[in-house]
Amino acid sequence: MPVQRSNAVLGIVSLIGGFALWELSVRLFVHGDLIVVPPSAIWTTFVRLVRSGELATHLAVSGAEFAYGFALAIAAGIPLGMLMASSRTARALLDPWVAAFNSTPRIALAPLLIVWLGIGIASKVALVFSSAVFPILINTLTGVRVIDAELVEAARAFGARPRDVFAKVLIPASVPFIVAGLRLGVSRGIIGVVVGELLGATAGIGYMLYTAGQTFDTAALFVGVVVIACFGVGSDVALRWLETRLAPWRLSAESAAQ
Amino acid sequence: MKLSIRGLHKSFVKPTTGERLDVVRDLDLDVRAGEFFCIVGPSGCGKTTFLRMVDGLVAPTGGEIRVDGRQIGGPGPDRGFVFQNGALWPWRTVLRNVTFGLEVQRRQSRAEAEARARRLIDLVGLVGFEAHYPHELSGGMRQRVNLARALAIDPEILLMDEPFAALDAQTRELMQAELLRIWQETGKTVLFITHQIEEAVYLADRVGVFSARPARVKTILDVKFSRPRALAIKRTAEFLAPVDEIWRLIEADARRSFAS
Repeated sequence: MPVQRSNAVLGIVSLIGGFALWELSVRLFVHGDLIVVPPSAIWTTFVRLVRSGELATHLAVSGAEFAYGFALAIAAGIPLGMLMASSRTARALLDPWVAAFNSTPRIALAPLLIVWLGIGIASKVALVFSSAVFPILINTLTGVRVIDAELVEAARAFGARPRDVFAKVLIPASVPFIVAGLRLGVSRGIIGVVVGELLGATAGIGYMLYTAGQTFDTAALFVGVVVIACFGVGSDVALRWLETRLAPWRLSAESAAQ
Repeated sequence: MKLSIRGLHKSFVKPTTGERLDVVRDLDLDVRAGEFFCIVGPSGCGKTTFLRMVDGLVAPTGGEIRVDGRQIGGPGPDRGFVFQNGALWPWRTVLRNVTFGLEVQRRQSRAEAEARARRLIDLVGLVGFEAHYPHELSGGMRQRVNLARALAIDPEILLMDEPFAALDAQTRELMQAELLRIWQETGKTVLFITHQIEEAVYLADRVGVFSARPARVKTILDVKFSRPRALAIKRTAEFLAPVDEIWRLIEADARRSFAS
């Protein structure tokens, strides 16, 4: 059997085994459903929340908050990273801000953003944006700066104008770095959504977690956590797929290096 | 004259000390149309800086460089550069690397550019590798792509910066013979830089010997072997005479740069 497939089989076996062990030990040793619930109870609650439409409502709110914030982070992070990479003045002007904001935990801004923007969607969009924009910006900047100078020179030697150098050398060379920045940004952005909703919201997965916690609905808490985890894993798989489409040369470079 | 260089001068200012460093000084050189001209010189003598000035990648401090009588003002489609280490774009396939110059110069449609690139890939012997990425190729194959890329823009002059220096000895020999075949098929003027004397003698119609820094043309030697040249001529007694003569011209400079 090829190594990759046997690894996948082992992974699935491990997951099924883990869940079975969980179910069994809860049934045998735990009384009451306040602290831990078995996977079967989580599933029942999941089905209930789907049927009632509650989960869809919360997911739609969180999804929109994440999508707007992340789109803004991309729209600002990539161009600003490019600008800082190509202009020394821009770098000198923006670097202190980037360094200061990037080293401040963005979560610390959450109460302030809620005071400013209210408990609606806007404060969460701002929180996702401020969480995701810096990894995207910094990775774009790094991607452009580490380009082999000879690749730029070769382009110039064949008559490339500055905008050709930008579109045909700087952009493609930095794609792997940008995608890595997006992957980091996704995980930071998810934290932003959940924390923002925990602190003050009227809907969303974080809000659902908050109310479930207040009402001791342990199964619903687990449903919320699993939904967030699935969203994170799903986004990461999607971005890795995007990378294989945008930078196929890099993928085969990795396998050639092995 | 295809290429005419007069009073070429280049100096750099060392950023650490502020001291001025002459890399090329009072350099005159004429290269004839269709000629294969090699330049040899001790390492660090400013050969590469010289070639970059001829391509227009580096601006001279003084003097002039003319191609067909027109002074150059930067890189142009009349000159194609072959880089020492390939400098191929890793995200482009062989075919897309070769079409790059035509793409940015917008002289031809995409289909015409591809057709031309395929002809050159055939010329350099890489048919079947069009869709490969540079890292999937050997060093010798990468330099073939590099050559095809430079030929794609149909330049008047090929500028080659030690293109075979990083190859192993056997691949280098075969690439030299290949280059002569391609040069004879295309009829380009070639300005080829190397630190290997036997490579220069095997390839060139004339060999220009550069002095140690600041670079000047010390002597120009005619190489009289008939063409086409077989690789076997390198192992004849006649071949050794010009090799030895050039070595004696640069030995003192080479020893000095070796010691420093």
